[in-house]
Amino acid sequence: MGCSSSVSSSQPVHRTNNIQSSYDTRGTIVVYGMIQSPATQRVLATLIEKGLKFQLKVINLKAGENLSRSYLEKQPFGTIPALDDVDGFTIYESRAISRYLEMKYKDKGTELIPKGNIKVEGLFEQAASIELSYFDSYANGIVTERIFKKMRGGEPDMNKVAELRRDLAKNLDVYDQILSTQSYLAGNMFTLADLFHLPLGSLLLKCGEDELFESRPHVKQWWNKISTRQAWKTVQAMA
Amino acid sequence: MPIKVYGTPTSTCTQRVLTTLIEKGLPYELIKVNLAAGEQKTQEYLDEKQPFGVVPVLIDEDGFKIYESRAICRYLELKYKGKGTELMPTNDVKALGLFEQAASIEMSYYDPMKGLGDPDEAKIALYREQLNAKLDVYEKILSKQPYLAGQDFTLADLFHLSYGNRLVKLNEGHFFESRPHVKDWWNRITSRPSWQQVLALA
Repeated sequence: MGCSSSVSSSQPVHRTNNIQSSYDTRGTIVVYGMIQSPATQRVLATLIEKGLKFQLKVINLKAGENLSRSYLEKQPFGTIPALDDVDGFTIYESRAISRYLEMKYKDKGTELIPKGNIKVEGLFEQAASIELSYFDSYANGIVTERIFKKMRGGEPDMNKVAELRRDLAKNLDVYDQILSTQSYLAGNMFTLADLFHLPLGSLLLKCGEDELFESRPHVKQWWNKISTRQAWKTVQAMA
Repeated sequence: MPIKVYGTPTSTCTQRVLTTLIEKGLPYELIKVNLAAGEQKTQEYLDEKQPFGVVPVLIDEDGFKIYESRAICRYLELKYKGKGTELMPTNDVKALGLFEQAASIEMSYYDPMKGLGDPDEAKIALYREQLNAKLDVYEKILSKQPYLAGQDFTLADLFHLSYGNRLVKLNEGHFFESRPHVKDWWNRITSRPSWQQVLALA
């Protein structure tokens, strides 16, 4: 069926003590998905930022494995990824998985959601919502036309792409404004709100949409910072 | 200074915030933004309120400003935890994870159907097909638990109210009515006094 591979990050960024976490010996986190899937990549990036060991169990979309009864029991919408935690707890939706991992493994690796200050948390939520409202569907639409459709033997609708690009460009003008006064979308700390952009942002660049970032100095700077993080480089090397 | 919400009572996103404020028992002032006149696109609004040019925006008692309706609702729950209805689970990481899953379901599978008001027939046909497929899954989920995140009403359910109401107003309520568990859930969440109050404002 699917193949699995073990990956672990060898560079925890932040250690609170030297005691080996019991999580390392109890069982493994299993991610169900595909390395080429943007949503799966979101989860892998988070796992690696947190320094968490995991296994990737491939759910082959082309072969319809996402519609098998056993997978649908895990993820009733039949999309990838899904994740089983070490104790068998199952969760799906990439952003929910990432948030859960951050909450559960708060003290491991990079801190990805600011805690302790309600205003700062509120601004994190604002940034996380910005990604969903103003980036995700436009980037996804462009990438679907220019990359995924092509992979399936179809032709991109370039009128649709132009419309999406125009709207995304307007939104990125606002990003440029926001990022002119702070380093990251939620403030001065890298958070999940930035990380969530990585998979589709990288695919936009792959299909030649560089101008969206290049022409906006603060967006460009922000993109360079977040896309050169070690965790993201590791995910890209897996694909 | 009371909590101020900039928006309109008929805006679906503003309605989300108002419902949350009422659930938490928080007094607020609704300052109407004239959407028809394009007030939200003026330079003043963009500079001072919301740089993407949409509503709502909330300014808290201490002057703290936040936008994006779902972020505002989450912020209110965090800030005023212990007041009114609890709208997100506390402390239990699994319960919080399942809440996040439900909140993401709303964004991934439900929110896109706001396109149902589109004039393009081909697009509407596609939205219907997608919405039917997604609500079939909701039916499965809700056959095992009363609310999307589990046993309790949360923001994940609340976020569905305003677009669901729009569906019903477009005479598309059959999407809910035709699925017994979805129907029960929809009736339960729409009959909450907070939502009834927001509807009365519109």
